[in-house]
Amino acid sequence: MSEEHFVVIGNGPAGNQAAQTLKEKAPEARVTLISKEREGYYKPCLLPEYMAGKISEDQIYLSTVDAYKEKGIKLRSGQEVVDVKPRRREIVLDHKEVLRFDGLILAVGGRPRIPEPLLVFRDLMMTLKTLEDAKTWIEKISRVDRVLIIGGDLTSLAVTKALIALGKEVYFMLDENAFWPLRCNDDMFQDVSDRLSKRGVKTFYNCKLNSMAQRSEHAVEVRVGDDIFEAGLIGAFFGLVPNVGFLARSGLPLDRGLLVNETLNTGFEGIYATGDCAQVFHPEIRDYWVSIGHDNAKALGRTAALNLLGERRPVDVATESLFDVQGIKVNTSWWMEF
Amino acid sequence: MPNPVIYSKEPEDFYYMDVNVPCQSACPALTNIPAYIRALYEENFGRSYEINRMANIFPGVLGRICSRPCEAKCRHGEAELGRPVNICHIKRSAADLRDRVSSSVKRIFSPTGKSVAVIGSGPAGLAAAHDLSTIGFSVTVFEALDHPGGMLRYGIPEFRLPREILATEIDQILGSGITLKTGIKVGTDVPMEDLMTGHDAVLVSTGCYEPNQLNIPGETMPGVYSGLQFMMDICAGQMPDLGKRVLVLGAGFTAFDCVRSALRLGAEEVAVCLRRTEEDLTVTEDEIFETKREGVKIHSLMVSRRIMGNGVVEGVEFMRTRPGELRPDGKSEVTPIEGSEFTLPTDAVIVATGQRPQPFDTPGDKNNHGLLQADSASFRTSLPGLYVTGDYLTGPSTVIEAVAMGRKAAERIARDLTDQPFREKVVRLEDTLITDRQRAWDFLPRQEMPTIEPVEDRFTGMTGEVETGYSPDLAETESKRCYLCYLHYEIDLNRCIYCRYCIDVAPRDCIKLVDRIETNTSGAITGFEETSNWEDVNAIVIDNTRCIRCGECMRVCPVDCISVTRVELTERMNEKGI
Repeated sequence: MSEEHFVVIGNGPAGNQAAQTLKEKAPEARVTLISKEREGYYKPCLLPEYMAGKISEDQIYLSTVDAYKEKGIKLRSGQEVVDVKPRRREIVLDHKEVLRFDGLILAVGGRPRIPEPLLVFRDLMMTLKTLEDAKTWIEKISRVDRVLIIGGDLTSLAVTKALIALGKEVYFMLDENAFWPLRCNDDMFQDVSDRLSKRGVKTFYNCKLNSMAQRSEHAVEVRVGDDIFEAGLIGAFFGLVPNVGFLARSGLPLDRGLLVNETLNTGFEGIYATGDCAQVFHPEIRDYWVSIGHDNAKALGRTAALNLLGERRPVDVATESLFDVQGIKVNTSWWMEF
Repeated sequence: MPNPVIYSKEPEDFYYMDVNVPCQSACPALTNIPAYIRALYEENFGRSYEINRMANIFPGVLGRICSRPCEAKCRHGEAELGRPVNICHIKRSAADLRDRVSSSVKRIFSPTGKSVAVIGSGPAGLAAAHDLSTIGFSVTVFEALDHPGGMLRYGIPEFRLPREILATEIDQILGSGITLKTGIKVGTDVPMEDLMTGHDAVLVSTGCYEPNQLNIPGETMPGVYSGLQFMMDICAGQMPDLGKRVLVLGAGFTAFDCVRSALRLGAEEVAVCLRRTEEDLTVTEDEIFETKREGVKIHSLMVSRRIMGNGVVEGVEFMRTRPGELRPDGKSEVTPIEGSEFTLPTDAVIVATGQRPQPFDTPGDKNNHGLLQADSASFRTSLPGLYVTGDYLTGPSTVIEAVAMGRKAAERIARDLTDQPFREKVVRLEDTLITDRQRAWDFLPRQEMPTIEPVEDRFTGMTGEVETGYSPDLAETESKRCYLCYLHYEIDLNRCIYCRYCIDVAPRDCIKLVDRIETNTSGAITGFEETSNWEDVNAIVIDNTRCIRCGECMRVCPVDCISVTRVELTERMNEKGI
């Protein structure tokens, strides 16, 4: 009888923890971890500091390629999964290879969100989710003096700090619907605005972004409300959305993320989703939620792996207090981590 | 000498079409999509329009509002090939860019001396009337409302379907010799028995005008609207005052038309609430995207429990839902989650959860709901000469499905009344020339439909068409993306010398060395077993599911053993027709 083959898609904390747990608990099984990125396992929340030159690239990595070998995990980096066929227990890779699996854990994480009204400007805006994104920022940032940040997630604040440290002039456009995962109100805006202003950041609140137009290689003309100005770079920071678009044809249950039950099962035997691509009903907030944050992801990765191996552990739901920020209930947990 | 044309009715040829031209197979009306895209690429816009109109009498209308089942099957949408061709937009371009001449088809056959009454002038009724009229029947259409078009006119807002486009295509249909009588409600203004006495056949195509209800507390409160009635009011020029916050309950095109109309009426916070998920929506991707761009929120996995308020709507109580087993229609069952109740505040609620047929006074066997019963294959009722088609027969369907059903019913009626077939489906095969399609065209991005920008400019009225149409350049670029699946490239194995030059120049893995060819019981090729062992090679074949019709294989073949045949599923007028 051939050995069992478990496949984990995603090289973030959830995927790594899941692969590691599978190998620990089922050492005879073959475990393959597929990563779209060529880089190893790193901590994305350190990317703004890397961008600012405060830490080196080596310092953001959490694991080396050799560590996978030592753990007996087969790492396939730089390979993209384009389809999953749950009934046939196959995944299809971008280069047309088909991999069979006995168990599958989807830990594909999130991708930067850009709200639909702003998608027409997407080619003029940069995001920061991957190491490759950070390198693009580093490459471009030296050539510009002013950067416009649009959005309001916590990465945006970290990037703003990095830009200030690099001596850049920063404009910050905050929208009530963009203060992800919270809905910004006047008090919150005032609080954020005051803190940013003290650092020399010009802030806009609830102003309409009328247009953006590339005027030269390093200048984009921006019209915000009645203001017209030029920015060298524009960063879009509206939080993340689960990166599950490639599963649209798979038959796996999708909403914002991959819908799973309290044991992270997708409804298909042997197929689990975990980390910040898994959407779980949370009885306390009476809503579906997606857990975000390094430690949460690791815990979820472990739970998914154990359940794939036969346990039926319910996912740890965060306490209600975690969702209560300034009197506002939010359906994610990562805000409190920062 | 022109190339000989072969018309085939062999099962293997129909099988070939079904498998190898997936867009046409997916179209309920079996529109010859590759042919009209190719005609448009050749700047023959009128021809492109007419190819379309042979199967679908509303190219300009459906080029705007079709549900696009073809695009879901387009090869360009397969995993590694990018996104489907914008077939619908190309269809619209043919209508937009053609010379404005009437496309009315006059009678093809001499008059049969028989007459048919069609009740209802929606897409099914008009399609049936058109087909019957063109083959020699005297046709009268009875419409209860003031103008023809049914749901096209009274259910779809003008910002998606300009009325002059609809009027042009209805005029073309009526121009085939149909008599239209509006403002006559059969069963009320005129007894059905009179129509049956006065005509050789009567076709009921009155559609679905009875809105479904939620049957939850508060549904009759002021501020709760039926989606269908709301849209009919808008289309009739009324402007209901909804307030600032609006929730629309429903997931179909009507629900999306309601939310977008609500924004144009001045509502500021508008959301559509789904029992399932956005993934389950049958509304097109473009429609969802534009709706979101306009500022509408889409809330998923929730079911309404009661509408709250004290004489006026104040909110809706929902429960969260959990998706369950997949149903045969591909949608999942949903179950409410106990203890998950929550409330959303609102000033108005629009219930757009579908509609059903309305009973009317007619003879013939009826079902438990008082609706005339008919066989879904033959369209016949319990009474000779009385037929049913369209949404009245099946419940709500798409416009293209209704057109297809109307045409099928027309053929059935014609055969029943004359004992003669008039139109038949055939596979038309004709040797043709190599195409100029280039590999680089595979990498052209999908050309998006231009829209009114900035978005705020859409809200200045109820009628400005949001999608402004492809320019000729955009239309040409998008048409280049089509793989032209109706062109069949084939290697003549009796002449092939297995030099494999064709494999060397193949842009993809489209030419294969095979050990064994698999066929089904009708003799159609269903697959092949590839081999990399030269000793086992028994044939060399072109995989038409991978072929991009670049013609490179033909150009390099030293023995000229590769041919290309245009294979089209089309209609032929039966020679025995009267």
